[in-house]
Amino acid sequence: MSPGHGLTEQYDYEVIKKFAVMGVVYAVVGFLVGVLIASQLTWPDLNFGIAQLSFGRLRPLHTSAVIFAFGGSVLFATSYYVVQRTCKARLFSDFLSAVTFWGWNLVVVLVVITYPLGLTQGKEYAETIWPIDLLITVVWVAYLINFVGTLAKRKEPHIYVANWFYLAFIITVAMLHVVNNLAIPVNLTDSYPVFAGVRDAMVQWWYGHNAVGFFLTAAFLGLMYYFVPKQAERPVYSYRLSIVHFWALAFLYIWAGPHHLHYTALPDWASTLGMTFSLMLLLPSWGGMINGIMTLSGAWHKLRTDPILRFFVVSLSFYGMSTFEGPMMSIKSVNALSHYTDWTIGHVHSGALGWVAMVSFGALYHMIPRLWGTTIHSVGLINLHFWLSTIGVVIYITAMWISGIMQGLMWRAYDQFGNLTYSFAETVEAMHPYYLIRTLGGVVFLLGALVMVYNVVMTIRNAPAPTGLRTPQAARAAA
Amino acid sequence: MSEHDKEAGTTGHQWDDDEGYPLKEYSNPLPRWWLYTFYATIVFSVGYWFLYPAWPLADGFTPGTLGWSQYRQLDEELAEAKAARKPFDDQLAQLSLDQIRQDPRLAAYAIAAGKAIFGDNCAPCHGSGGVGAKVGGFPALVDDDWLYGGTLETIHATVDNGRQGAMPAHLDSAGGALNDQQVRDLVEYVVAVSGRPAADQEAVARGKELFHGDAACNACHGDGGKGSLTGKVAGEAVDANIGAPNLTDAIWLFGGERDTLYATIAQGRTGHMPAWGAGFEGTGRKLDPLAIKQVTLYVHNLGGGQ
Amino acid sequence: MKHATIEKSIPLMGILTLLVVAIGGLVEIVPLFFIESTIETVEGMRPYTPLELRGRDIYIREGCYNCHSQMIRPFRDEAERYGHYSLAAESKYDHPFQWGSKRTGPDLARVGGKYSNLWHIEHMRAPRQMVPESVMPAYPWLEKTPLAYDDVAARMTALSRVGVPYAPEMIASAKDDLEAQANPGGKTDGLIGRYGQKVPTGDFDGKPGEITELDALVAYLQMLGTLVDFSSYQAQAR
Repeated sequence: MSPGHGLTEQYDYEVIKKFAVMGVVYAVVGFLVGVLIASQLTWPDLNFGIAQLSFGRLRPLHTSAVIFAFGGSVLFATSYYVVQRTCKARLFSDFLSAVTFWGWNLVVVLVVITYPLGLTQGKEYAETIWPIDLLITVVWVAYLINFVGTLAKRKEPHIYVANWFYLAFIITVAMLHVVNNLAIPVNLTDSYPVFAGVRDAMVQWWYGHNAVGFFLTAAFLGLMYYFVPKQAERPVYSYRLSIVHFWALAFLYIWAGPHHLHYTALPDWASTLGMTFSLMLLLPSWGGMINGIMTLSGAWHKLRTDPILRFFVVSLSFYGMSTFEGPMMSIKSVNALSHYTDWTIGHVHSGALGWVAMVSFGALYHMIPRLWGTTIHSVGLINLHFWLSTIGVVIYITAMWISGIMQGLMWRAYDQFGNLTYSFAETVEAMHPYYLIRTLGGVVFLLGALVMVYNVVMTIRNAPAPTGLRTPQAARAAA
Repeated sequence: MSEHDKEAGTTGHQWDDDEGYPLKEYSNPLPRWWLYTFYATIVFSVGYWFLYPAWPLADGFTPGTLGWSQYRQLDEELAEAKAARKPFDDQLAQLSLDQIRQDPRLAAYAIAAGKAIFGDNCAPCHGSGGVGAKVGGFPALVDDDWLYGGTLETIHATVDNGRQGAMPAHLDSAGGALNDQQVRDLVEYVVAVSGRPAADQEAVARGKELFHGDAACNACHGDGGKGSLTGKVAGEAVDANIGAPNLTDAIWLFGGERDTLYATIAQGRTGHMPAWGAGFEGTGRKLDPLAIKQVTLYVHNLGGGQ
Repeated sequence: MKHATIEKSIPLMGILTLLVVAIGGLVEIVPLFFIESTIETVEGMRPYTPLELRGRDIYIREGCYNCHSQMIRPFRDEAERYGHYSLAAESKYDHPFQWGSKRTGPDLARVGGKYSNLWHIEHMRAPRQMVPESVMPAYPWLEKTPLAYDDVAARMTALSRVGVPYAPEMIASAKDDLEAQANPGGKTDGLIGRYGQKVPTGDFDGKPGEITELDALVAYLQMLGTLVDFSSYQAQAR
């Protein structure tokens, strides 16, 4: 590498800054709606008899706000950051960058408006009505071109592993989104999906599971592959492992969808494929955790002073735990107990809060001071956020484990004569204490996010006045 | 791999080296335990595909050597459960409701089964344990006030065939034959027969006249409003299947306040108890004859059985 | 081929990735359209009536699927609690499917006919008045909102384009059929002729003469799981 080439090569940090700030904002929005709907399950009167505030309409808002608004913004921000820095190239097109930023935020605003109004396709994690689906497609194509175009400008012949994951994420999500949302419109807001019944179920969970697989796993592994070695100041543990687990993960993940449909009217053969591929997915998933954790080995002493590294270690631990729990829950006999219960909700949140959100927090704390050419306002507050997040997740998932397993067991409990012991209503009543504890866990996690908001605001306010687009060198000189 | 990085054990590639620590990769081998565990999951899966239905074919699928299907698994589960309950169930099927009730062991079995059935199927309307709902129209089953009878046989008939209760609208504007004042008079009379102080004795008298005369309320509710189970019109017993409530016992189906009584008389009421026996064969949803016996014994045992 | 070749080439990387991620879906989804046993042969299935269809739209609009499944699994406890396990055939006209993923509330696959219309009215108005343990929101706006059904024929046309067997006369008489089903005094001969004897008719929302969203939703709930004739059904391994 010729030193000093960066002097002539400028990075586009502006779009990253905007996405990073929106990521922080949407984190709070998503968690806040989550706390509200958790409270509604604890105290149903909080639905207020108002259509726009009822659980059924807000729950999709919560999931979309966390996955697509918060997670999506973090992925746009970090992928643009990572691809520029690892390619030593400015983003391919300022226009496309703007299209992705304004387009994606327009999608989020439309979601916030349409869901409470009851405008929905009725497909989980894909509730957006067809005009918004089209807008998403446009934004996504712009994203793909912008990302690939930047890769094409790279100075280093090898594409860094983080970008393999980001690229796989962009390609796969495009495929899933288009197929799952094929629909025939009735008017501007309503449509019916082209698939029905068992076929629609299979398509939906092929999409739904891989929204987890590629949006919340592959893409965030890409993030991990940049920020963990960068923050730990250690080389990635194993290049070979990253190759094998990348391809294995990409190939195997897609098959796992039917484990959401065990013992339904989906044919047995498809169910078997879903279960076995989920089991085979365990080790490829763990490849990412091993590479992350082992990268940190040798830097353990830094954990004492660096709360950002703590976020990474704990997030990787939750990642390892969730990707173990997932294949276990895909085993038919386990799934017979766990399916339809809060166990699934707990599992999702150990992944979404423990892994996705916490690795995102770490990345944001790493990236934001560098974007603004400054240092973080308070390391102590990062530490506080770390503890609030960790405690919040643990409370949340423990409550859901207990309530889920308990409810599953109560549904199939028999008395001495072989009669069902509990009515369904009795099992609902038994959930109440755990719904209360879960709400508390969510509140603690939300408090952590508010601490982050304060810290980020203070960091940006204290940053030196912008001097236009800056190079990394200029940023370093200014710091 | 360039020579100078070999000592450090990295691949020699380097990214993002302008600022902070540059990204590098060690060329460590795959962890052995990782690789072998991965292989083990593959071996397990291949084995599983041989045993269970697994791969789609042109029109069908590989069935697996175990002959397993989720519906066969259910059949086995159900057969096992049925076999365990057979000694009891056979007797329940043969004996009359009263005979079952006389046998403490059988009764305990039937009532336990009835409780389980009641909780999911009946409690949504009649309340947990049959205490009734907080809103009108869904009778409590724990008291001794029955619309259609509280004997084992009548409860059984009610569950089996369902009941349709229909109190017609009596106010002229709702299609009835009475004017507003007449409906008010009837309300005062009903208040009086239910043992509460009436506001206007003349209205009570007019209401009584109407009740047994032009409005013919007694045709269903019986003379003096004693209900279709105990009421009599001109010496004739009222048909118990009408399900007209006793108005004198301070137990109300829709509520005994003046406003509610007015609404009931003026607009009429309908009550619909679904049939749980008929249609079982067709939909696989409702209760089989055994279950209906069990839930009958449970309801009868709630406290109000006669 | 050394991996270095792949990781130096964007087209190779991109195309190989697309190939690798496409396989699983193709193998799991496409055969569902060709393997005949996927959707069982049954007696009794029919498309939704116009009123039921609008009720189903409301069910989806309110996000009922977030808490209620419509999929009884082949387990002993579910057979005893909910009835016969659900068949693929029973949701073959469901665009989108409503099997659900969570049971915060009970399964609704066979709720049809279980409770009276009055129960549904009171339960939607104030769920805890009927079931004290319930955590369901109240839906008071349904009985206050007149049902919009001017476009019901257009909806049926759209569904017929994706395979729901709505005959031209069903679409032509959609509005009449909807009104006939919800108005007790309405003429139901045409409706029954087109959709069969089992169609529940009546004043579903307790407001004679008015057709509200509650009419549609209750009509939908009252037919759920009642179509297939299980007396003639033989279980099929699939």
